[in-house]
Amino acid sequence: MKNAVIAGYARSPFHFAHKGALVEKRPDDLAAEVVHGLLAQTGVDPAEIEDLIIGCAFPEGEQGFNLGRIVALIADLPISVAGATVNRFCGSSMQAIHIAAGAIRMDAGEAFICAGVESMSRVPMGGFNPAPNPDLYEKNEGAYMSMGETAENLARKYQITREEQEALAVTSHARAAAAWEDGRFAGEVIAVETAEGTVERDGCIRPGTNPEVLAGLEPAFDADGTVTAGTSSPLTDGAAAVLVCTEEFAARNDLSVLARIKAIAVAGCAPEIMGYGPVVSSEKALARAGIKMADVDVVELNEAFAVQALACVRELAIDLERMNIDGGAIAIGHPLGATGARITGKAAQILSREDKRYALATQCIGGGQGISTVLEAA
Amino acid sequence: MAIEKAAVIGAGLMGGGIAAHIANAGHDVVLLDIVPDGASDRNALADGAVARMLKTDPAPFMEKADARRITTGNVEDHLDLLADADWIVEAVIERVDAKQAVYAKIDAVRKAGSIVSSNTSTIPARMLLDGMPEAFARDFLITHFFNPPRYMRLLEVVAGPETRADAVAAVCDFADRKLGKGVVPCNDTPGFIANRIGTYWLVLAVRAAMEGGVTVEEADALLSRPVGVPKTGVFGLIDLVGLDLMPLVGRSLKDSLPGSDAFHAVYDEPALVKSMIEQGYIGRKGKGGFYRLKPDSETKEKQVIDLESGEYGPALRPRLESVEQAGRSLRALFEFPDKCGEYAWRVMSGTLAYTAGLVPEIAGDVGAVDRAMRLGYNWKRGPFALIDEVGAGWFAEKLAGEGREIPPLLGAAAAGGGFHRLAEGRAEHLDGGCRYVPLARPDGVLLLSDIKRTARPLAKNGSASLWDIGDGVACLEFHSKMNALDTEIMAMVTRSVETVGDGMRALVIHNEGSNFSVGMNLGLALFVVNVGAWSMIEETIEEGQAAFRSLKFAPFPVVGAPSGMALGGGCEILLHCDAVQAHAESYMGLVEVGVGLVPGWGGCKEMMVRALTSGKTGFGGAMPAVSRVFETIGLAKVSRSAKQARGLGFLREGDGISANRDRLLADAKARALALAEDYAPPEPATVKLPGKTGRVALKMAVRGLAKTRKATPHDLVVVEHLGNVLTGGDTDTTREVPEDRLSELEREALLALIRTPGTIARMEHMLETGKPLRN
Repeated sequence: MKNAVIAGYARSPFHFAHKGALVEKRPDDLAAEVVHGLLAQTGVDPAEIEDLIIGCAFPEGEQGFNLGRIVALIADLPISVAGATVNRFCGSSMQAIHIAAGAIRMDAGEAFICAGVESMSRVPMGGFNPAPNPDLYEKNEGAYMSMGETAENLARKYQITREEQEALAVTSHARAAAAWEDGRFAGEVIAVETAEGTVERDGCIRPGTNPEVLAGLEPAFDADGTVTAGTSSPLTDGAAAVLVCTEEFAARNDLSVLARIKAIAVAGCAPEIMGYGPVVSSEKALARAGIKMADVDVVELNEAFAVQALACVRELAIDLERMNIDGGAIAIGHPLGATGARITGKAAQILSREDKRYALATQCIGGGQGISTVLEAA
Repeated sequence: MAIEKAAVIGAGLMGGGIAAHIANAGHDVVLLDIVPDGASDRNALADGAVARMLKTDPAPFMEKADARRITTGNVEDHLDLLADADWIVEAVIERVDAKQAVYAKIDAVRKAGSIVSSNTSTIPARMLLDGMPEAFARDFLITHFFNPPRYMRLLEVVAGPETRADAVAAVCDFADRKLGKGVVPCNDTPGFIANRIGTYWLVLAVRAAMEGGVTVEEADALLSRPVGVPKTGVFGLIDLVGLDLMPLVGRSLKDSLPGSDAFHAVYDEPALVKSMIEQGYIGRKGKGGFYRLKPDSETKEKQVIDLESGEYGPALRPRLESVEQAGRSLRALFEFPDKCGEYAWRVMSGTLAYTAGLVPEIAGDVGAVDRAMRLGYNWKRGPFALIDEVGAGWFAEKLAGEGREIPPLLGAAAAGGGFHRLAEGRAEHLDGGCRYVPLARPDGVLLLSDIKRTARPLAKNGSASLWDIGDGVACLEFHSKMNALDTEIMAMVTRSVETVGDGMRALVIHNEGSNFSVGMNLGLALFVVNVGAWSMIEETIEEGQAAFRSLKFAPFPVVGAPSGMALGGGCEILLHCDAVQAHAESYMGLVEVGVGLVPGWGGCKEMMVRALTSGKTGFGGAMPAVSRVFETIGLAKVSRSAKQARGLGFLREGDGISANRDRLLADAKARALALAEDYAPPEPATVKLPGKTGRVALKMAVRGLAKTRKATPHDLVVVEHLGNVLTGGDTDTTREVPEDRLSELEREALLALIRTPGTIARMEHMLETGKPLRN
C-alpha cells in the first residue's frame, strides 16, 4: 500500500468579501493562479498530475460548471489532467485531500492537486437561488439553520463567555500578524493579479485587535447573545491548494515532503451545534491513527467562530499553545471552500517547520459535520 | 450656448450644495476651495464637503453615486480644471475683495465665452464688477441659490449692466430644466427680492412681538399656517437659519439701502438677541435659539425663551382665540380685537405694504415677487396674492384709516380688482408701471392650477376631479385630505377610464399638492375595522384592485406624474400606469407593513411582475427577484428621490424624470401623447414563482432579523403573509401563475392581517402619532 504525502502548499492572500482587494477577482481565475503558484513552487511536471480536485461550498455562478475542469483549462494544465469539484461545505477542500489520499491507497494515481476556492463576494453564501426543502425545514429546522445561530447554541450549551471568545480572537489576530512579521507566510502566499494591481498580503488581519475594541461590538446574530463579528470568521475571498502524492513520486521528483497523511475521518453531529463536528471526527481520526490528543504536537482547528473552536478545545482537551500558532480563521479569514486546503497545508507546513511528529487538522461543517486529518512527520 | 460642464469655487454649505445639485442633474462639476493653512491634505476642504454631504440628511445628493460626478481640488493647484467649464459659480465668503480675487484667478484660466456667476446673497453686481475687465463683466451675473440648494426651488438671477443676454438665457435655461429651479429675474438691489422682504418681515415680527407682549409660541402660531407660512413661523425660522446671521444680513441691508427705505424704521438689534448670540444660542446649529431642548434632560423636553425675562420655560402649543374664531378668513384674523390679532395685522400689513412699495424697484412685476416668496420662503401665497386674499381695496382702506401711506401699486390694485385678476377668462397681473399684463408661462410649462382657474372639470366628486388638459388628454387630480385614497377616488378612477375611453386619447394622473398621495385613508379603514365590517373591507380591496386593473388594461395610455410622496396606494396606482413621468423629488414606497398590512391594491403583484420581466432577474430562478421585492416591501423602503425610485424598482428604466415641477405635467402629457400613437394595452402577465420553497427561504432569512431584534414579533406575522403573496402561494416553480392570482393572494393576506390585534394596534398608533408602532 502506498502512502500519501503532502509535498506542497500555497494559497492566495485572503481578503474581506465585498470590500477587500479580491472583490473583482473571479474565483476560477483566482484558483487557477494559486494552482500555477503551487506548480511553480514545487517544480512538479504538470503532465504527471492525475486529477485537479477543487473544493467549493457554493459551486454555482462563476464557481459553477465543473470548477475542477474549468480551472485546469484556465491554468493551461495539460489536457490529460482531469478535474473534479467537491462540496462538503466548509470541509470541501479537506475532502479533496481525502479523495486524493484514498485514490493513492487504491493505486489510482500518483499526484493530485487538491485545491479549494470561495469568492464570498461574487457568489453569496446560500447561493443565488436558495431553494430549501420546505418539508425538511418543517421537520428539522437545524438543517438550514444560520451558522451564527448554531454558534450561539454552543455558547449556551458550553457556557462559554463572551470574554473567553474575545480572548481567542485577540490571540488569533496577534499570531497571524506576528506570522507575517516573521516572514512565516512568505513561502505560502502567492501574489495575485487584479485590475487594481498585484495583491501580495492578507487583508483581513487586524494586528491591533484588543479586548476593548471587541467588547464594544454588538452581538451579530442574537440580540441577547455573545457572538459578535469580532469573534466570528469574516466573509472572505480566497483560494488554497496542496500537492498530494505518493512518497515514491515525491522522492522521484525530488520534492520536499511536508508530512505524511496518517488517518482521515468524517462524522455527523446535530445540525444545531454544527460547530461541535470536529470533536466526533477527530476522535475517529485519532483512533484510526492509533494516537491520543496528548500525542498531537500541532493542531489546526478552523475558527469558524471563537465559541465553536473553544467548545472543541474543551471537549478534545486541546492545548491552546499548540493550536493555530500562525493565527486562525478569525484573523486570516474563512473562504469556505478554500479553508480545508489551507489548514491541512498549514498543519503539514508547521509540522515540518517545527520538526514535530503529529499534527491534526480539523474543521466544523454547516448542517452538522466534522472532518479531520491526522498528519505525521515524513 | 449649452452648459455641459460646471465648476463651483467655495465648498461651504452653499457651494458644496450647488455642486451636489449640478451632479444630481447628471453633469460633471469641479469643486474647489482654498488650501487650509498648514494642511497636509491640500484638497481637505472640498473633499471634506463631499464626505460631509454624503452623510447629511436631508441628502444633498439624490443618489450616492452622484457624488462621483464631483471632481474636488483646490484653487492653488487645480485652476486648470476650470479651463473647460461652461459655467463657473463663485460661492466664497461675502466680501468683495475676496470674491474679486477669485474672479482674477478664474479669468486667467477660463475659456472664452464661459459664464461666471456669484452666489452672493447681499452684494450688488455693480460692486462685484467694480474694476473688473469689460470682457469679464459681459460674462458675469448673480445666481442666488437658497439653502439647501437641492430642495429650495428659488433661484434669483441678477444680470449686470453689461451681461450678455445669451449668457443669462443659458444659465436660466440650465437652472430651470436641469436643476429644476424656479428662476426669478431680479433687479440689482440689496437683498434682491426674497431676502429683502423676508428680512423686513422677520425683523418686524421679532420687534412687534417684544413690543406687543406676544410670546414666541403665540407669534409662531399666528405667523405660520394661518397666513400660509411654514410651521416654523418666524422665531422657528430664525432658529433654523441662525440667530447670528440676522444682524449680518440686517446690517448689510441697512448699510446699502437708501435712507428713505422703510427698512430703517423697523430695524433694530434687540438686546436679548445680542446676549443670546453671545451665549451661543445661535439656533439649531448651536445649543438652541428661541427654542431649545432642555439641557441635561433625557426626555427631549422642548423649551422656549421668554422674550421679556430671557428665561427658558416649557414650550406650549397655544390655543389662540383669534385663530380659532377667524377660521379660514385672513381678514377676520387681522381684525380680531386682541393682542394676537393686532400682532398679526401689524407684522403682515407692515410687510405687505412695504412690499407693495418695492415694485418696480426690485422686480418687474408682482408675479416675480410672489413667486420668489413662495419658492424661497415656502409661503403658500406670495405677498401680493395675500393682499388679494383679503382684498386690495379693503387693505388699502384699512391702511388709509390708520393714516398709513398707500403705495401707488396698491392703489392700482385696489382700483383694478387685485394684483392678480381674471379678465375675460385670462389671468393677468400688475407690472411695475401699474399696468395689467397677461400671465405668461414659458414653453413646456403647464400648470393644472392655470387650467382650473378657468375650466370646468369633466367630472368631479369630493376627493378627485377629471380635467381636460388639451389635445385629447385628461388629467385625473386627487384633492382629498393629503390626497389619501378613498372610495371616491376609486370611483373617479373608474369614471376617468370611461370618460377618456369615450373619444379621448390619453390620461395623466397628477396633482399639485405637496404630496402626490400618502396612500389609503387609514382613519376610514380603521373605522371599518372597529365596526367589524369585514365584507366592506373586502369590497374596498376588490374595488381598488378593479379600478387599478382598469387603468392598466385601458384602451388608451395612462401616465402617472407624481411629485413629493407617493406612498402605499399612491405608489400602487403609479405601478399600474403605462409610464411614469416623475418629478425628481418623488418619494415612492410601499409602506404598508408599517401599519401591519401588505400592499393590497396590486403593489405586490406589479412589483413581482416587473421584477421577473424586467430582465434584471440576474442569476438563476425567481428567488433573487422575490428576495429583492420582499426586502423592498418588507422594510417599507421609500426612495429619497426619483432616481432612487428607479433603483428600488418603483420606476422602470423607461420612465422619465422631470427636474422642474412646473414642467412635470407638460412632460407627462407629451409622453402620454407619444404613447397614444399605435397604443395597445398590455397583455395580462403570468410569472413563475417558487411557492413553498421560496417561502421557507424567506422565513429563514427573517429568522436572523428576529434574533437580532431587527424584526419585531408582529413583523414576523406580517412578512410571513407578504412572503406567501410574493412566492405565489401554493404553487410550484414550474407552474405559470396568472397576475390575477397574485391579486387574490393580496386580498387573502390583507383580510387575514387586518383582523390581527398587532395590525390594529399599528393602525391606531399611526393615526394617533403619525409614526409606525414597533410591536
